[in-house]
Amino acid sequence: MLTEELRTAARALGEALHGSGAVQKYLKASADCEADPGAVGLENRLLALYAELTARQHRGEILPRSEIEALNALRRQVHEHPRISDRDAATMQVKPFFAEIADEINLPLGVEFAALAQATEAKEES
Amino acid sequence: MSTQPSVIPIPPGLPAATQRTPADRAQALGRLLLGTPEYQAYLQALKDVNHDADVQRHWGRIRECTSALQWGKGDALEQQAALATLEADLASLPSYRGLREAEETVSRLFHDVDEAIGQAAGLPFAPNARRSGCGCGG
Repeated sequence: MLTEELRTAARALGEALHGSGAVQKYLKASADCEADPGAVGLENRLLALYAELTARQHRGEILPRSEIEALNALRRQVHEHPRISDRDAATMQVKPFFAEIADEINLPLGVEFAALAQATEAKEES
Repeated sequence: MSTQPSVIPIPPGLPAATQRTPADRAQALGRLLLGTPEYQAYLQALKDVNHDADVQRHWGRIRECTSALQWGKGDALEQQAALATLEADLASLPSYRGLREAEETVSRLFHDVDEAIGQAAGLPFAPNARRSGCGCGG
């Protein structure tokens, strides 16, 4: 349970991030991507195929080379889609910016905030 | 020539909302987190573990076993069994249990703070802020 002071400080940081150029660029690229049925369809196809192949692999099946090549071809198509590649490029600008900001939180603490924040999720997922 | 600085520094301890840049606000948040009872309890638990001779002895022996396994020294099965026993013993030591509990509490607090940041930012913060890992949450 967060105190009001912590919630306010966290929200203030989130709002400052939201107003930054890197996040605005990412949000626009992400919205453009979601509004493009071709991009959404391609990503959904890739996710479905990846889930199917990994499930079969986990059951002990040796996948034929042709199916792995089909997955790789679809992956390339996804990465080369202009809306998706724009969004991915915008994400790559957000990450170092967020990492720098996280360092500012880490400094007084002496631990990695992001790693500890995700440790709970990792435990719940495992 | 004016001797006044062009930017007036913000005194430490001001409420986060009055500080403008993301870096300022992140520093303010870090200082607030440092002062929480949860984080102070975690620091105390770390100190307790560092001063606990039993824990230190277990850690030393775990390091020896792990190293022996890595370098293929001795019987691997025996080393693995010894390692499992040492880890179980370590987990039962009160100060070590205290550290794990304190860490979980801090982790939950940080998780809630991270969610509040992400909601306001419009995208998840922690998964995108880590220098290692894919950040996809998977």
